[in-house]
Amino acid sequence: MGMSAATTAAEGIKFCIFDLRRGQQEGQELDKILFFFPADLPFSAQLSVIGLSEGLITFTRIFSPAAACEVIEAERHSHVFYEAEPDIWMVMVVEKNESEAIWRIDALRKVLKEVHSLFLMFHGSIRTLIEKEPAGGLIRSHLYPFIMDYLSACQKRSLLDNCCWDFLLGKKLQLPSFRDCLKERGTVQMLTVSREAAIEVQSLVRVLESFAGNTQFYSLILFQDLLVSTTLSPVDTINLFTYAVLRLTPRALSSGVSSWSYLRKGSTTSNVATGSILAQSASVSEQNFRSQDTSPPGGVNSHHIARPLQPDRWSKGKDGFLVTDIWGAEASGSTSATPTIWLQQTEERVYVCAYQYRSLTLILLVPVASILNGEQGVLVVKQQILENASLKMFQIEEKLSKGWAGENAYHVSGYRYLLVDGDRDVSRASPPGKVTTLTKESLLALSKVREEVDLEKGRMEHDNAGQEKDLEVCIRAKNNAWVIARITKGKELYMVLEKANETVLYASDAVEKFSNRYCNGAFSLD
Amino acid sequence: MSSDSSSTSGDEFTNPNPNSTSKSLEDQFASAALTEPDNEPPEIQESPNGVVNGSVGENNHGEIESNEREGAVGSNLEARQSARWRRTNSEVEVEAPSSPSSSGYAGERGSSSASGSSVGFEMMSGGIGGGDDVEIQEVSNVDSIQDSQASWVPGKRHVDEDDASLSWRKRKKHFFILSNSGKPIYSRYGDEHKLAGFSATLQAIISFVENGGDRVKLVRAGNHQVVFLVKGPIYLVCISCTEEPYESLRGQLELIYGQMLLILTKSVNRCFEKNPKFDMTPLLGGTDVVFSSLIHSFSWNPATFLHAYTCLPLAYATRQAAGAILQDVADSGVLFAILMCKHKVISLVGAQKASLHPDDMLLLANFVMSSESFRTSESFSPICLPRYNPMAFLYAYVHYLDVDTYLMLLTTSSDAFYHLKDCRIRIEMVLLRSNVLSEVQRSMLDGGMHVEDLPTDPLPRSGTLSPHLGQPRDSLESFREPFVGIGGPAGLWHFMYRSIFLDQYVSSEFSPPINSPRKQKRLYRAYQNLYASMHDKGIGPHKTQFRRDENYVLLCWATQDFELYAAFDPLADKAVAIKTCNRVCQWVKDVENEIFLLGASPFSW
Repeated sequence: MGMSAATTAAEGIKFCIFDLRRGQQEGQELDKILFFFPADLPFSAQLSVIGLSEGLITFTRIFSPAAACEVIEAERHSHVFYEAEPDIWMVMVVEKNESEAIWRIDALRKVLKEVHSLFLMFHGSIRTLIEKEPAGGLIRSHLYPFIMDYLSACQKRSLLDNCCWDFLLGKKLQLPSFRDCLKERGTVQMLTVSREAAIEVQSLVRVLESFAGNTQFYSLILFQDLLVSTTLSPVDTINLFTYAVLRLTPRALSSGVSSWSYLRKGSTTSNVATGSILAQSASVSEQNFRSQDTSPPGGVNSHHIARPLQPDRWSKGKDGFLVTDIWGAEASGSTSATPTIWLQQTEERVYVCAYQYRSLTLILLVPVASILNGEQGVLVVKQQILENASLKMFQIEEKLSKGWAGENAYHVSGYRYLLVDGDRDVSRASPPGKVTTLTKESLLALSKVREEVDLEKGRMEHDNAGQEKDLEVCIRAKNNAWVIARITKGKELYMVLEKANETVLYASDAVEKFSNRYCNGAFSLD
Repeated sequence: MSSDSSSTSGDEFTNPNPNSTSKSLEDQFASAALTEPDNEPPEIQESPNGVVNGSVGENNHGEIESNEREGAVGSNLEARQSARWRRTNSEVEVEAPSSPSSSGYAGERGSSSASGSSVGFEMMSGGIGGGDDVEIQEVSNVDSIQDSQASWVPGKRHVDEDDASLSWRKRKKHFFILSNSGKPIYSRYGDEHKLAGFSATLQAIISFVENGGDRVKLVRAGNHQVVFLVKGPIYLVCISCTEEPYESLRGQLELIYGQMLLILTKSVNRCFEKNPKFDMTPLLGGTDVVFSSLIHSFSWNPATFLHAYTCLPLAYATRQAAGAILQDVADSGVLFAILMCKHKVISLVGAQKASLHPDDMLLLANFVMSSESFRTSESFSPICLPRYNPMAFLYAYVHYLDVDTYLMLLTTSSDAFYHLKDCRIRIEMVLLRSNVLSEVQRSMLDGGMHVEDLPTDPLPRSGTLSPHLGQPRDSLESFREPFVGIGGPAGLWHFMYRSIFLDQYVSSEFSPPINSPRKQKRLYRAYQNLYASMHDKGIGPHKTQFRRDENYVLLCWATQDFELYAAFDPLADKAVAIKTCNRVCQWVKDVENEIFLLGASPFSW
């Protein structure tokens, strides 16, 4: 019964990863498939998706050798392509319907990018894992749980974003639709801090750096779900920030406990008991994969594979450090192993030490190479945090909490907006609760405008013109809402003004005011 | 029965059953290909569906046959062969076909009663010869050519290419027509026959998706879009990196399909029902020019996306005079009488209740203008108006009154040639006598609305009509002075105004700085994008749009009555630009008598 529920729920979406370098011989096509969701789809149907994708990649390269197929739009489905690594493609097929399933392709592609970036952070590149074990068992056994966990996280996160706790909704995969047009995946959200607090944060960061000696530690500090400070490269910042908001911040930790705990009652196997349909189908298809696996039985599966995105596996210890058994237990068995991740920028492996005081989360990244005695060395670093940094953190937390206006801190009345700084990968937006007050028509219109802007941006990228896009679009929609997009100097502003006056001048005035007050005049005309 | 007829020769065409539909076009085509075109014209009452009904009362051809078409096919094949000959040879050596009949399309025996006459009914003879290959496709440098419309020569380009050629792959915009079995029917670039493999690939993509219970619309890759349109057994595909929106490209495929129907009618579908492997290329032999000229118009003619037609500016009385005589003719059994100058309408009259879709007008005008033979002699040719009735042929009598001005008289009757010829003589006489033709030529010289002439004062114009679109002639020069090279007031560079009820649009003349074909094309594409953005299927139409990028400020204002599209200098002040748009609308209203065909139905006159 659980299975049938799973299939109906997942009917709208297919998601696959395949390697064009594999399975070139006839009859070996299955070898190409590294991941397929839903896994219980018959192989013939899986191959059909991959066959079409591969065919169009080849076909489009005739005309566009540099950028192959990005999307297929059919009447009932959109197929979104992303070449994650050379010859390794991710394809997501989503169903369209009139009411809610209206997608912005770029937003969907960002989902693919995000899942791949996170995978890189935890497991390294797909190609490396394939090369490690050419039969493919290793990469499959890594991808499967990872992506299934990600998708279920996708479920939960959007529920959080909507401040909605109806778990029936949770059975359906919540991909970013037109309703999410005032959000930007793959960016971080920053906390605006007072000058005074900023200085204290700076000094905390300096203290943390001093632990490193001659090597370099990196740090990331969050207040609630907002970034306060980072010393990581932009790409690593985004990945770790995304992960922290998913799994580490106070809200992520508490939502796990409060929401899932009652579901666990009376259940013995924690895996199924998450109540998630995805998790169920995951366990089913893990078997699938095992049977499909050509590698010697036990060879791969005996290997422990960390599932960093698995929900509810992090908790806060008494000492304030966040702990998890995801990375297995230490050899001694008493304590959990410290997680490690890959930094893309420096290509080094680092330990992740997360310390939390109330709303403040500190993530210190310690290069594995800089510590000779492994976990012992990590303990020393943790001790240093407790001794030298914790007091500063208390003070900062207090200061930030005082200045924090709560969930609607960044609401600007009368405006529904999204502000993206593409150079810094930072975005700020109206709080989700406020965005829901917009009519469907307004959201659809904005989503459409964003799609136009996405296309223009894509052209700029492909043309490599080097010049920066400067664009202003201001539309009075049928429902009299103003839908606005402004692109200038790498910054983007999207806005919906409902209940506004009818002249274009009024609308641009509103943008001007907003720009002067909240964007340092970035979008002002002079 | 159909199996019998498939092996028959031309003599057995006579089908005793006028309503028989068992005999497919294909059979007829197949056998017709074997016959000599100047046989005694067979009387076939093959009726696609008999939809065209008699606004022409006495007409027993209300059910339109396709016999004319058969006559054509024989020569089609020849045309095809000569076309192929041309393609394999250096294009410089190409000259006009030896005789019109060798490449004539629907030719010689256009109607049974008139077929014996020596009047040149041939059409399309220019089709083969017209194609001196001038490299002015998007790929090449367009800037060097002063006026793209004037110097553009229709005809197929780059026939020596195929999908293996790098140059072919780099063409900015491909169009393909193929059958659902993957047989190539038309390709903008390259030889269809060499593209059979490529065609099969396109077909495979479409049917693969279809087998999955879906229908592919668009594939995007980098700056390229592949747009698909399925029309029964006919597949149309566009592969483009021109930055045009999907909706525009799809609309262009619809027009190409419409152009094909104009030549063949939809009954060609039956050929495919009969034989999925049916080869349609011979039926379209020699029509390359028609398609290439249509495709060319996708980059300069706003009618292709506005779905409206435009009129040649004329004094109200002049246009009324032309309308009156056309109406006289229409009352005598002509379905539509259209007087045009290039792609602009001078006047247009339809029989009671018959109305002409702007897209049909576009396709018809393109068909006539792209075929050289229409210019040299009066012609009588079967055509189909896809929006009027896609299943049936009408008959078009076409005659050029001067180098740019031509008269088209459409009828349902295949033997109306002499009647229409008489009509034309009457019309021509009246037009000459009332100086309409000279007025037309003057208007061509003067051009239409110039942004430099936009009246500065917002006060309503005086009631009397000024000689040229509301602007006193003599003051024009001094008036334009301050704006030389920078367009009109407030940085206004160009505008288009579409009247919803009239199905007509007016567009200002291009003036500096929009003076090179490349700049014009870029603006045209910007309008296309604006149009698509305003008319989104799901949520449109929007009411207003202001858009500024590094090239323009664009404004669109859509109401129930009209749509205004205006382009300004990118540095134009928003408030002033909006005021200027209001003035443009006022200006258009002031001169609407001259720029639009009003009260097209003359009963109100």
